[in-house]
Amino acid sequence: MSVLKIQNLSKNFGKIQAVKNINFTVPENSVFGLIGRNGAGKTTTIRMLMNIYLPDEGEILFQGEKIDSTFKDKVGYLPEERGLYKKMKVIDTLLFFAEIKGIINQKVKRKAFEYLERFALTDRANSKIEDLSKGNQQKIQFISTILHNPEFIILDEPFSGLDPINTDLLKDIIIEMKKEGKIIILSTHLMDYAEKLCDNIAMINEGKIILNGNLKEIKQNFAKGRILLDTDSDLDFLKTSRFVEKIENFGNQFSIKLKNESEHQQFLLELLNNKVNITKFAANEISLHEIFIQLAENETDEVKNVK
Amino acid sequence: MLSNKIIGILKRELKDKLFAKSFIFMTLLIPGIFVISIGIQVLIYSSEDTDKHQIVIFSEVAGLEKHLQKSINSELKNDFQYVVDVREIPGTQFNKEFNSLKPLLLNNSISALIFIPKKAISDKHVSYYSRNPKNSQIHNRFSGIINQAIISFYFEGKNLSENDIQFAKENVRYDELKVSEDSIVESGIGAEVLSFLFIFLLYLSILFSGQMVLRAVVEEKNNRIVEILLSSVSSNELIVGKILGSAITSLAQMLIWLLPLIFILSSSWYLLPPELIVSVSAWQWLYYFVNFLIGLVTYLGLFAAVGSIFDNEQDAQSGMWPLMMLVMIPFFIAISVHNNPNNSIAVSTSMIPFTSIMVMPARMGLIDVPLHQFLISLTVNFITLILIFPITGKIYRIGILQTGKKPNFKEVLTWIKMKNL
Repeated sequence: MSVLKIQNLSKNFGKIQAVKNINFTVPENSVFGLIGRNGAGKTTTIRMLMNIYLPDEGEILFQGEKIDSTFKDKVGYLPEERGLYKKMKVIDTLLFFAEIKGIINQKVKRKAFEYLERFALTDRANSKIEDLSKGNQQKIQFISTILHNPEFIILDEPFSGLDPINTDLLKDIIIEMKKEGKIIILSTHLMDYAEKLCDNIAMINEGKIILNGNLKEIKQNFAKGRILLDTDSDLDFLKTSRFVEKIENFGNQFSIKLKNESEHQQFLLELLNNKVNITKFAANEISLHEIFIQLAENETDEVKNVK
Repeated sequence: MLSNKIIGILKRELKDKLFAKSFIFMTLLIPGIFVISIGIQVLIYSSEDTDKHQIVIFSEVAGLEKHLQKSINSELKNDFQYVVDVREIPGTQFNKEFNSLKPLLLNNSISALIFIPKKAISDKHVSYYSRNPKNSQIHNRFSGIINQAIISFYFEGKNLSENDIQFAKENVRYDELKVSEDSIVESGIGAEVLSFLFIFLLYLSILFSGQMVLRAVVEEKNNRIVEILLSSVSSNELIVGKILGSAITSLAQMLIWLLPLIFILSSSWYLLPPELIVSVSAWQWLYYFVNFLIGLVTYLGLFAAVGSIFDNEQDAQSGMWPLMMLVMIPFFIAISVHNNPNNSIAVSTSMIPFTSIMVMPARMGLIDVPLHQFLISLTVNFITLILIFPITGKIYRIGILQTGKKPNFKEVLTWIKMKNL
């Protein structure tokens, strides 16, 4: 059952159409990836979800009801461009952000210290924000996003600026929150993270949704007739191969689209006959990254809804 | 009326402004600077001239010399700053005397040479020769001395008593009586001083806290904190919280400055010179405070809106000048109504938006303003506040999330017209 439904949403700024009639649904208990290039319309869409902007057309339904200003209290939002009051103490910052979400009590203070401990920041509770490193500020920002225990969490590029250990910690927390039944929207242009974390995605390009659906199904759909090949050999001979429709070169990895998706065995034979040194051969495989590039390059009005 | 969210924003603003070290510092520093600058002026004025001055007075009028001596003796009895040499000479000899003293005038051995010609008895015109003929200190001292001598000389032998002559020397003095609907009272300058104090404090508060709000808005926009704030509160809640925080801070600051004054006024009522006694009714006090708050909130809204248009402080400073004019013009009009609080400019500006906030209290300190004018002024200020707030709110709401290119005036106007934000 879908929890958040975006219907025919449009937003113009003067002559610029930032979001053009988009539709997607976010199912419950899932991580939803809102992906797209910089300036594609992700932030405007998120701002409409947050009721920061009012849409020119269309509506947003949460559990079947149109969202209003009370929706803000149910949401935790980590914007792409982070901002904290530099002169404020860490613990005051956390309590302030919880307070403007309508939560003032001792429990939230306890919870704040629990999160600080988890992120190894307990000893910095009374430090000023400006005295923290950028990575630590990032962690404080993340804690302030989830401290009020929101049902719905929007994370815009959450991993930027974090080291691998903290990235893993953040990923663990995101998975934990998903298990708790929260809905998470992850907005990113880093396809790798989206691919690892998301159950469903909507891809937005120039204000329009160009792909929407379950990630596994999308990949299956796009992977048909796709070969991922790792090799250091010269593949120039493939340009004239009768099996191959298109080759994309990523250095030591090639993505090859076959003319006929059932001919991958014959294609493998051709490679072996030509003494290609194969380190990896994966049939019917495609990365989200490739799907994204493919779609963004062949800009289309047609929305690929994968059910 | 105030949501918990506004209170949350307000609490942070107060913590940041009212309970900050800078507040205590500024609250003490501003009167300190004031006292020091006035002190320096007084010091310069009083120590302006402690040098000895040699003054030479030539009189062509036979018999004036003894009156001059008498006048000098009584006026400069305890003043050893001046050494005065009075000589009676025939008019024809003046040029020769002048030429012989000219080198001493030029090297400042003699500060001034005063020549009293015969006709001075009828027209009181005397010649004053000096390297610095504008020295008001010597001017003031000696014009009185010479005037008294001429008056004594003039009435000599006219069978008048010393008392009559003394009476003739006196100037006219006004007993100022202020006429109002229900009383005629001696007019003091207390109410006037108080009203100007309020206007001056309002002016200072608008400038200080206005710039503070503007800087804070630019900083929030620049730091991108605003995006997170807006994901929790509406832009209206945010702007209301911020403005209330600054207004309360300013009001607290003004009270801190005024309380000692009010205490002195009320506890030592009878010790004050009568002209300083303030006859201000409780209603008038209330009006001053209400007017202060309305004015402050109106202007702070505008400062916040201007701040939201720009994303760095330099641009914001350049965009602030129309607003500064809107603060300064009313202030200067309010100060200049002192000469005639009932002229047409004073009356009209005390009832039009923005100027009314400062000109009306200035007039009220000087005269009893007709009730209808007072009510018009109050209504105009309320309506201005009510009209200006949605507009500033709208500019703020759009401006605060705009980044990149600096918008021009036309674009800001289109923001105001936008329906769906």
